[in-house]
Amino acid sequence: MEFNRRQGLAAAGGLAMGAALPAGEASAQTRAETLRYVTGNTVNSLDPSVPGSTRESFGLSMNVYDRLAAFGRKRLGDNWVFDHNDIRGELAERIDRSPDGRTFTFHIRQGATWHDGTPVTAEDVKWSLDRAVSARSLAPPQMSTGSITSPDQFRIAGPRVVEMMVERPDRLALSNMCVPYAIMINSTLAKRHATTDDPWALNWLKDNSAAGGAYIVEQHRPGTQTILRRNDNWRGGAQPGFRRVIVQTVPEVATRANLVERGDADLSIDLQPSDVAALAQRGRVKVVSVPQTNGFTHISMNNTMAPFDDVKVRQAIAAALPYQDMFQAALFSRGRALFGADWTTTPPNSDFPQPMPLHTNLERARELLRESGHPNGFSTTFTIGTGVSAWAEPMAALIKESLARININVDIRKLPDAQFNTGQAERTLPFYTEGGTAWLPAPDYFFRLYFTRPQRWNFASFNNEEINALTREAQFETDAAKYDAACKRMIEILAAEVPLILAWQPLHEAVMARNVDGYTYWFYRQADFRDLKRV
Amino acid sequence: MSEIAQPAPRGGKWGAVGRRVGVRLLSAVPALFGVLVFTFLLMRVLPGDPAVFFAAGANAGQAEIDMVREQMGLDRPMHEQLVRYLWDITRGNLGNSMTTGQPVRTDLVERLPASLELTFSALLLALSLALPLGIVAALRPGTVVDHVVRFLCTLGVCVPTFVSGLLLIYVFYYLLAWAPDPTGRLDIFAATPPEITGFLLIDFALVGDWEGWRAAAGQLILPASTMALFVLAPLARMTRASMLAVLGSDFVRTAKSLGLSNWRIIVVYALRNALLPVLTISGIVFSTMLGANVLVEKVFSWPGVASYALDALLASDYAPVQGFVLLMATIFVMVNLLIDILYGVADPRASVA
Repeated sequence: MEFNRRQGLAAAGGLAMGAALPAGEASAQTRAETLRYVTGNTVNSLDPSVPGSTRESFGLSMNVYDRLAAFGRKRLGDNWVFDHNDIRGELAERIDRSPDGRTFTFHIRQGATWHDGTPVTAEDVKWSLDRAVSARSLAPPQMSTGSITSPDQFRIAGPRVVEMMVERPDRLALSNMCVPYAIMINSTLAKRHATTDDPWALNWLKDNSAAGGAYIVEQHRPGTQTILRRNDNWRGGAQPGFRRVIVQTVPEVATRANLVERGDADLSIDLQPSDVAALAQRGRVKVVSVPQTNGFTHISMNNTMAPFDDVKVRQAIAAALPYQDMFQAALFSRGRALFGADWTTTPPNSDFPQPMPLHTNLERARELLRESGHPNGFSTTFTIGTGVSAWAEPMAALIKESLARININVDIRKLPDAQFNTGQAERTLPFYTEGGTAWLPAPDYFFRLYFTRPQRWNFASFNNEEINALTREAQFETDAAKYDAACKRMIEILAAEVPLILAWQPLHEAVMARNVDGYTYWFYRQADFRDLKRV
Repeated sequence: MSEIAQPAPRGGKWGAVGRRVGVRLLSAVPALFGVLVFTFLLMRVLPGDPAVFFAAGANAGQAEIDMVREQMGLDRPMHEQLVRYLWDITRGNLGNSMTTGQPVRTDLVERLPASLELTFSALLLALSLALPLGIVAALRPGTVVDHVVRFLCTLGVCVPTFVSGLLLIYVFYYLLAWAPDPTGRLDIFAATPPEITGFLLIDFALVGDWEGWRAAAGQLILPASTMALFVLAPLARMTRASMLAVLGSDFVRTAKSLGLSNWRIIVVYALRNALLPVLTISGIVFSTMLGANVLVEKVFSWPGVASYALDALLASDYAPVQGFVLLMATIFVMVNLLIDILYGVADPRASVA
């Protein structure tokens, strides 16, 4: 008995030694070389294309995996933002596009290796691309927006050369190679864990990585923390400044603010606008505030449901909303307003989203309501999700108050997020608010995604023949002037028909230690650790 | 005494206790089954479609929603889902969590020690405060001391845990910097102990890493205090009431008249008899704390089961919520059983019935 207990202790000691080794190695690296990023959400999958992956999973995968191509970044005021018009190679050192715009040739970077040291081959790239269009994941529908739908479109054209062909010169084919779903996977490693039920190793890659990107996953505890170590053999871009990155889940938003302000954490995003304002004022941290150039907050009306199927009713609502007050109450005006533009019929340029000619004018609203045959108003329900109640609640109260002045009685209904999303997908919500972000902020993509087809992201269930036709053509339009004209026309229709109201673009606000530099706003609204360094 | 009054059953006293425990556990099975089926149905009756929630990628359309529904097994008729679920449970499979992407069993096994460690520490802390406070209040009823104790208890009960938690963080972490940062069970830069029991204090003690032990205890103090404050009132008030009753009883008067020392009367005779109701209430408090400490877990980023279940509930993620409820029901059964056994220790007349 005595002997057994000793054995048990020896085993425990052995375990302790085993566990202590990596930790000891870790503590040798100084705190200054470590970035501690605190977030309210969790990295729930290392493969971003698995259904249910969080935004944090997207962000992490950008650092762990390479894609064939990547967007560049540009200055916007004092800040860095991504630039979707500047596409460079990441795992590819060169990308050739054929004159007809239908064939892309990717030349894999010389000497590129996976995290396990094996070289990246054309077979790996072909397998990864095949997976992005074939696996039962969220990748195929995204790829299809760039006319990438079948494994037949990818061909190995030589050692380290892969070709991608599209039927028509889709403007977004190459852009789709830059999104989180287009990860390049070590196929030899992944195939070892594939099964007949799961030929693309979705289950295994959810908790393990087979990558070659700038950071290597050292520890992954879903719901708690994920720790990354820099891959010093990475050649896909400039060497990242931090040797080690800790992504830690801290659910309480006030605690995240405290941690950064006290200097115990280095970075946090998605804090409360009121907290950010206070932090900026006290000045112990650096606050990077960038308008979400690809995002928007909308107030949607269900265009297939009475009375919102009447354009006059929608115009009346658009004229009755108290834009400036809502903007102040919801966001402390921390954002870019998309209302109050002074053009009337034709927009000044083809950028989208851009400020629309929306103004508060109760007289006009009453008149429109009379013309629509609702002189005595009507009753409706305005729905908000609990997840966004911080800004949506004050907004809803102001909408209720303002619409009451034109005799529209609004009931405010607050639903848990899953319920809210269900109502939205089943199009049973008459009138609601939410935010949206388009990964690829090309105007035609915006319109195709948010204003066409009976699908979930067509928030207002809008169906306009002209916009349907214009988006179909613009997707393949190679002539810049024609493309611009088409986009302007779509914006005109939007201004006249007001299927929904684009209210503003919220600020993306990142709070960080004062010596952290290089923060960039990316389309997936997460930090890219490769941009960051201490100065 | 009971041993004399009852004929000794075969297998001796412990054998009898063992048999009774077995019977009690068996009789809990129908209750657990009921809880299981009820939770299963309740989750499906609640509005909110998990498939829609999780197929939330840009461009995810009806096809993707259907795909997720099929992966979660929600495309089958409900009775078939229930049978499959029950069959899985008999094999120890609680399903998968979409929220964390892990099997529910793995998640619960990893997180339960965190919740238990916090709850045990909080209960110990609360008892170590509540017992003396209750006794002192009972010895001097109606005096300033009694009122101060009452005030403390009222305060503890009135302030919601997230308020007291945030307040403690603000004072001891943000202003004074005495406490370590309130982010989970261990400093993120510290070395973790090997997984032996999952209880950090025990694991650190087992490997003799006292520096680590102090660090883990440091992380535990604020959340445990927050919870202890909240449950101070029922424990202290119960101690006081039951002490008052016992102190007024005949045997205490007898002991006094026999000239026994005050200390001996209070601790040996009065307290032991007064502990029974306190024990019962401790069991209830413990079970409640385990489920209800979700706010404390959220505020202190404590990776426990309650915050896990809440996240899953908000996302309409069925499996984790069902797993959590089953776990809580099982723990409730176990705690009640344990309390009954302890009852026998405190009062030999009571037995595990």
